[in-house]
Amino acid sequence: MAYEPVLTRHVGDQDAYTLDAYVAKQRGYEGLRKALTQKPGEIIDLVKASGLRGRGGAGFPTGLKWQFVLKDTPKPKYICCNADESEPGTFKDHVLMERNPHLLIEGCAIACYAIGAKVAYIYIRGEFYHVQQVLEAEIEKAYKAGFLGKNIFGSGFDCDVFVHRGAGAYEAGEETALIESLEGKRAQPRIKPPFPAVAGLYQCPTAVNNVETLCNVPLIMMNGPEWFTALGPEKNGGPKLYCISGHVKRPGVYEASMHTTLRELIYGEQFAGGMIDEHPFKAIIPGGSSVPLLLDKDLDTPASFDDVQKAGSLLGSAGLIVLNDTVCMVWLAKNLLYFYRHESCGKCTPCREGGDWLFKLLTRIEQGEGQAKDIDLLFGVASNIAGKTLCAFGDAAATPVLTTLKLFRHEFEAHVREGRCTIPAEWRARQPMLAGHH
Amino acid sequence: METVTLTIDGRPVTVEKGRTVLQAAIEAGISVPYYCYHPGISIDGSCRVCIVKIEKMPKLQTSCSTVCTEGMVVSTRDAETVAARAGVFEFLLVNHPLDCPVCDKGGECPLQDFSYTFGPADSRMDFPRRTFDGEGVKADVDFGPTLMLNRNRCILCTRCVRFMKEIDTDAQIGVVDRGCGSEIATFQEHGVHSLLSGNLMDVCPVGAITTRDYRFKSRPWDNPTVVDTTCTLCSKGCSTSAWLKAKPEWAKGSQLIRMTPRFNPDVNGYWMCDIGRFNYHWIESETRLRRPMIRTAAGLEKVGWHDAEPRLRDKIQEAAAADPDAVRFIVSAHAATEELFVLKQMVQGLLGADGLKSVSMAWTRSEKPQPPNAKFKIPAANAPNVNGARDLGFMVGQGNDGPAPDLAELKAAVEAGRVKAVYVLDPGPDGSIGDLSWLVEARRTGKLSLLAVQGVVMTPHAAAADVVLPGYAFVEKDALFTNDQGQVQSASLAIVAPAEAREDCLILAGLARALGLDIAYQTSDEVRRALGGAMPGTAYAGAGTVVFTRPVPAASWLQASNPSERWKWDFMFQDLPPVKGHNVQLEGLAREGAGPNYIPLRQVDK
Ligand SMILES: Cc1cc2nc3c(=O)[nH]c(=O)nc-3n(C[C@H](O)[C@H](O)[C@H](O)COP(=O)(O)O)c2cc1C
Ligand code: SF4
Ligand code: SF4
Ligand code: SF4
Ligand code: FES
Repeated sequence: MAYEPVLTRHVGDQDAYTLDAYVAKQRGYEGLRKALTQKPGEIIDLVKASGLRGRGGAGFPTGLKWQFVLKDTPKPKYICCNADESEPGTFKDHVLMERNPHLLIEGCAIACYAIGAKVAYIYIRGEFYHVQQVLEAEIEKAYKAGFLGKNIFGSGFDCDVFVHRGAGAYEAGEETALIESLEGKRAQPRIKPPFPAVAGLYQCPTAVNNVETLCNVPLIMMNGPEWFTALGPEKNGGPKLYCISGHVKRPGVYEASMHTTLRELIYGEQFAGGMIDEHPFKAIIPGGSSVPLLLDKDLDTPASFDDVQKAGSLLGSAGLIVLNDTVCMVWLAKNLLYFYRHESCGKCTPCREGGDWLFKLLTRIEQGEGQAKDIDLLFGVASNIAGKTLCAFGDAAATPVLTTLKLFRHEFEAHVREGRCTIPAEWRARQPMLAGHH
Repeated sequence: METVTLTIDGRPVTVEKGRTVLQAAIEAGISVPYYCYHPGISIDGSCRVCIVKIEKMPKLQTSCSTVCTEGMVVSTRDAETVAARAGVFEFLLVNHPLDCPVCDKGGECPLQDFSYTFGPADSRMDFPRRTFDGEGVKADVDFGPTLMLNRNRCILCTRCVRFMKEIDTDAQIGVVDRGCGSEIATFQEHGVHSLLSGNLMDVCPVGAITTRDYRFKSRPWDNPTVVDTTCTLCSKGCSTSAWLKAKPEWAKGSQLIRMTPRFNPDVNGYWMCDIGRFNYHWIESETRLRRPMIRTAAGLEKVGWHDAEPRLRDKIQEAAAADPDAVRFIVSAHAATEELFVLKQMVQGLLGADGLKSVSMAWTRSEKPQPPNAKFKIPAANAPNVNGARDLGFMVGQGNDGPAPDLAELKAAVEAGRVKAVYVLDPGPDGSIGDLSWLVEARRTGKLSLLAVQGVVMTPHAAAADVVLPGYAFVEKDALFTNDQGQVQSASLAIVAPAEAREDCLILAGLARALGLDIAYQTSDEVRRALGGAMPGTAYAGAGTVVFTRPVPAASWLQASNPSERWKWDFMFQDLPPVKGHNVQLEGLAREGAGPNYIPLRQVDK
């Protein structure tokens, strides 16, 4: 049975982003109307029953997250929508916000109602300036139509949605760093506990949810949890957006169920359409730059949270970066470490100092100036970062090194042995700009 | 007190509910390193050196941010923790210059110390270190009027940032840039402007923030002894420690080299202000009064006490002969309670029950420029013992809360020629008694026949006096002061006063005897015993039994001061020799145990 997109079905339409089209074609705001006839606790139960898992990276059950939001408190509560979308290889939220913004706005309103909040902040990546403009204009229309603001549908429920433009850091996507940034501080994470559900924005109970996660909520309201669950494998229900990039014929955002295998996503005609040129597949990073590589032998893995994890990686933000044999794995690691070194917030010691060290080692090896001991050192330094940092960034930064070393150690050894990169020079991708030295 | 019991390294440890694993380990004397944790500011969890293994938790946890739960099983010594911790130490030193030989923190540096204990033997780092020195820029920069910042040494624990944000409440310091380019900075490089700035040196666990006052002046092993005392520069009465530097062998003795705050949950917490910290140089300054002086045709001339006392007696008696009310006293509220007590006995002995009327208390007041919500407020009254004077019955108006006395009545009486002799008791720094220029003028014009000054430094009124008597500064005597909360606190003898100076309460007792009164005190202990006897049922009743602290090895000093750092300092300073040639009198007096300003270990760190 062919999968029918539900999140992105209309995104190709000229008027997809408008309120009128949303109401006409997607039964817009019916989910919210329905939600407001029920008790907040019932909404949480519905979302729990649907098994919806967070689409921001960790795949944490959304209903459970909402249930943890502290109830007995005189403090206000908040929904923070994580629209920072900065994970390399990830570009799905941006499509939803630009082409289907009302789905997110409706999701925000339902989420607020469910946890007892009156305000949702959409923390949008600073570079998405044009998206922010679309979003703000559509929020304005939603207010005028009575879908936001005071006493929505005469239910007595008030809800405001604000868009906050991010301050330009990958780390701002980490939920507590996002909260700090929203409060006007540096985007640096907080130590957990306390979790945002207890003390989040302005120390008030807060749920941080990814854009795609919230977009699923109106669908669950309208179609019911059973419909949602049935779309995918057990515990991996619902529609899923995949961002496919790299050496494929048709990179882009594709919606599918989580039954779909990595191979189908890469080679399927309705998806990325196969590898470009004659160069064969070498490896895939299946979940945004922070997760371990998978190889050809793993490609029959369904692209679900649980299956990808079983295969030894993570679905993460579902950013599939497909690599062919022109890619030098030392270069890959160096390229990614250039990013992580640059983006480390600098708060905690292992990531701040270790990321820079890894980048320097990788540069040395990649330039053919490394020694055998540098390879062991690389492993040692990366292992000393992983699991020792304040936030998950540290693990993300160590992963490219650990995964390339694990699967392609021979390429590192070849660099050391030959004193140069063994990938033919004409294949080599453009080098990242060398980091300005502090 | 609700408690929880956990196991650390196989040892059962019981702590108050709500304590963190790090605090529990410190209380139990188990070594766990830490940098970003400081008991006086919020928890950051950023340095990562305090990681430990906790059963049933998937990853190593930072002990500073993990609250103890009943039955928790913690390990600080298993192979995984040891290796991970060593890894973090290796990272900390990747860019640290390790210029210990020229670093002021060397010898009392937690980075040095913990790295030796917990770090790897070698670093595998073979790239050049990041430095902030460059063309036309130095890593070592001005950090405001009191501080210097060495950016290379900073380990980014952000204790300084959090101190400014949470305690001073005017953040001023922040981190700029990010990742390995992060550095501590102030807005537009203005530096730190705060009356609490000196605390930044204390909280900085490395030699990144140093005070201009102490920079390059001494090494920890040169000042191995410390005296617990009380600051007397305002009415707050912070618990402090006076650090003594051993003079070179040929010079003997010791020198006051710095003041640091000492933890006192009821008064100053972990902090002190810059006034108390930096304003001690007057004590051992050039203007210090060292010998009695009397005025001759040639000006003030140094004499012995046996010359000064009779001269003073004669002048006072001469002025009092016609009218006993013609002799008046101006007494600084820097005077200790012992001094006030002897003075009271003297004036009441001479003038009867209302003799106190002959005494005008004096002090100054200034509102300190601090953020309105500062967690550490410096009082306006610049004197330590207004409440001591109040308790003994001296006139203090509205006390610490009211305006500083203006002495208008006395001034008028001097102008009118009703007062002929004024005795000034001024044991504080220059200016702390207020403006006495009118008095100098009255002496110059001959309105006064006697101006006598008992004090510590050469002030304008001392320079104009007929008789000058050198007393002791607050760090040179055992003395009681009553702070603005009414707490009777003790300041202890830390350094030796100049040879010819005399303890102030004994100068007064000598004067009283010269004037024919039977006041026979030979030591301040005797004065305190009499004070205690005279004020039963008050906070002063136990004055005679107060035990003053004595110079102690720095290790025990830190036990009392900052229990969270206890174990570290315990082994760091253990073997240091005592100060050579230290005053015999002090050694004779040295006592075991604790005085009233010694905070027992268990009671601290609320
Ligand atoms: C370094 C880092 C960057 C992250 N960036 C994003 C991001 O850009 N967008 C996002 O939704 N989640 C991001 N996350 C995950 C969030 O912390 C958080 O788990 C997520 O927003 C929760 O939403 P969800 O439960 O709907 O997935 C990031 C996490 C880390 C550690
Ligand atoms: S792991 Fe990196 S990004 Fe996360 S807190 Fe530490 S320094 Fe910042
Ligand atoms: S200057 Fe000192 S206190 Fe401030 S962050 Fe650096 S090391 Fe920590
Ligand atoms: S607040 Fe007062 S008592 Fe405390 S250190 Fe400053 S001057 Fe001394
Ligand atoms: S002391 Fe625990 S992380 Fe710094």
